[in-house]
Amino acid sequence: MAFQSKRKYCYFKENSILEIDYKDVKLLRRFVTDQGKIMPRRVTGTSAKMHRKLVRAIKKARNIALMPYTNTSTES
Amino acid sequence: MRYYESLYIVNPNFEQGKLEEVMKTVTETISDYGFKTINHFVWGKKRLAYNIQEHKYGSYVLLHFETDSHENLDSFERFMVLQKPILRNQTVALQDKPGKQTEKAISGEEEKKDSSKDSSAKKQTDDAAKETEAEKLRESEQEAEIKETEAEEQAQTEQNEENE
Repeated sequence: MAFQSKRKYCYFKENSILEIDYKDVKLLRRFVTDQGKIMPRRVTGTSAKMHRKLVRAIKKARNIALMPYTNTSTES
Repeated sequence: MRYYESLYIVNPNFEQGKLEEVMKTVTETISDYGFKTINHFVWGKKRLAYNIQEHKYGSYVLLHFETDSHENLDSFERFMVLQKPILRNQTVALQDKPGKQTEKAISGEEEKKDSSKDSSAKKQTDDAAKETEAEKLRESEQEAEIKETEAEEQAQTEQNEENE
């Protein structure tokens, strides 16, 4: 039996989100690994347009210390 | 008309009165530069994702303002960087006019979140209290050292006088 992968979809298009707020950390956390790295588009399934906006929002959040640049194992 | 949002982090050890003073100076300079404030309120004391100037926590303050020209934006940025109590600031352009927001509405949202994560919130507040206590202890130790050195110096001068 062939392996059937779960269909990926753009979270923002599905929930009709047009603008991403950098202060909404709860939302941004979904698109970041445990290490704090931004997940690639091929994994999350985000559309190209929204991925660009997402990346900018995450980087803004990192600058103002709402999100980490890196998450090392020593930090709780 | 252009709309901007500025989020800045103030030193967490500042009490309500001191925090208000910082906010007052910011509003005054904003009016000097010809900007019009729309919203200006404390977003809350939060744990920083990484340490800034050895601070684990920070008081976030949110500021919305509007202006016709962007001439003074650079000098405003410069002013914010030069302020000692402000650890970090970030100004972002907004597409639409921001609605009037009040401190109560924001804190109400946070209360809801807190109720779901009571234990974590308690831990955070405990950690913040510990941090402030540790800093107070350090200050008192420093004061004690200064007093000791002063006393020693006095004793030495007295001895010298007696010898003479």
